Amino acid sequence: MSETRSVEITAPDIEEAIEAGLKQLDVSRENVIVEVLEEPARGILGLGSRFARVRLTTAARPLSEMVVTSAKKEAPPRPKKQQVYRPRIEDDDEEDFDFEDDDSYASPSVIPLDEAEWTDELKAGKETLEEILRLMEVDASVDVEATEHSKEENPTYVLHVQGDDLSSLIGRRGNTLAALQYITRLIASRNLQKRADFTVDVDGYKAKRIDRLHKMAHQMADQAAERNRIMKLKPMPAHERRIIHMALRHRSDVTTRSQGEGKFRRVTIIPQKD
Amino acid sequence: MKELVEYIAKSLVDNPESVEVTEIPGRTAVIIELKVSPDDMGRIIGKDGRVANAIRVLLRVVAAREGKRVTLEII
Repeated sequence: MSETRSVEITAPDIEEAIEAGLKQLDVSRENVIVEVLEEPARGILGLGSRFARVRLTTAARPLSEMVVTSAKKEAPPRPKKQQVYRPRIEDDDEEDFDFEDDDSYASPSVIPLDEAEWTDELKAGKETLEEILRLMEVDASVDVEATEHSKEENPTYVLHVQGDDLSSLIGRRGNTLAALQYITRLIASRNLQKRADFTVDVDGYKAKRIDRLHKMAHQMADQAAERNRIMKLKPMPAHERRIIHMALRHRSDVTTRSQGEGKFRRVTIIPQKD
Repeated sequence: MKELVEYIAKSLVDNPESVEVTEIPGRTAVIIELKVSPDDMGRIIGKDGRVANAIRVLLRVVAAREGKRVTLEII
């Protein structure tokens, strides 16, 4: 939930008023909007002097990244310190996610696939991708890889583009990579007259991202189960939400759901009681 | 950029022979005009413009290397 809260404070000067306001809201300076309602005035001999008045409003998305909603709806007007959840991450940039290294939560690793094992769709995909890269004048090679898999699960095939400084092929939040995969699969599917089932990765970007999402999913699920609380993750695009759903699919202590519309759609992790 | 659009368009349409791409270079921006058969418009634009937008994203990478903006017009 991202309620905005707001307080008005009167104090001898602006800085003091802001300090007091931050204390009341129990937030840090980066997370509020400060409006100066009245500038302080000194007056003469105490006559006509005026205190500063400021209004602090918490930003629409408080402390970003992870927001926890307690089961209780009624929030006290002035939350005491213990009632304010302090997320581990204060930065909106999800690349700064700092989860402990815990290999038990790692996603399946990716291994190179021998040419003899390439399916028609992989061959078509690789050819298409190489042609697109050539026409984009990008110097890179395409490796064919597959995720490690068990008998009951199909592997995911990955066309892995590798080369020097391919960050432009990844783009902001993997946007360019998504377009590259979309076009490559579309062309390969059309050539084969069937759905081409592979993903495209650039310099391990997705592998790292998936790994991070897996770990985050499990840690949030642990919290949901332990504290018996519903955990809301930050909004993510469909393919990332899918990774979360898949990562937690086998857990019996939680279920997952996507809620919200459009780009605000986010995964909710719900504790399951037996 | 012209060849890239040509390759993608021809790979996706039913009438590749009607695909025509013109590149209009400018000092700060490039316009790419893509002409396809009316029957193929849907394939090139895609649902909610997804195909056209994906092509635009890829073009932007190439144009950015030359410090230019790029516009893809489908006509």
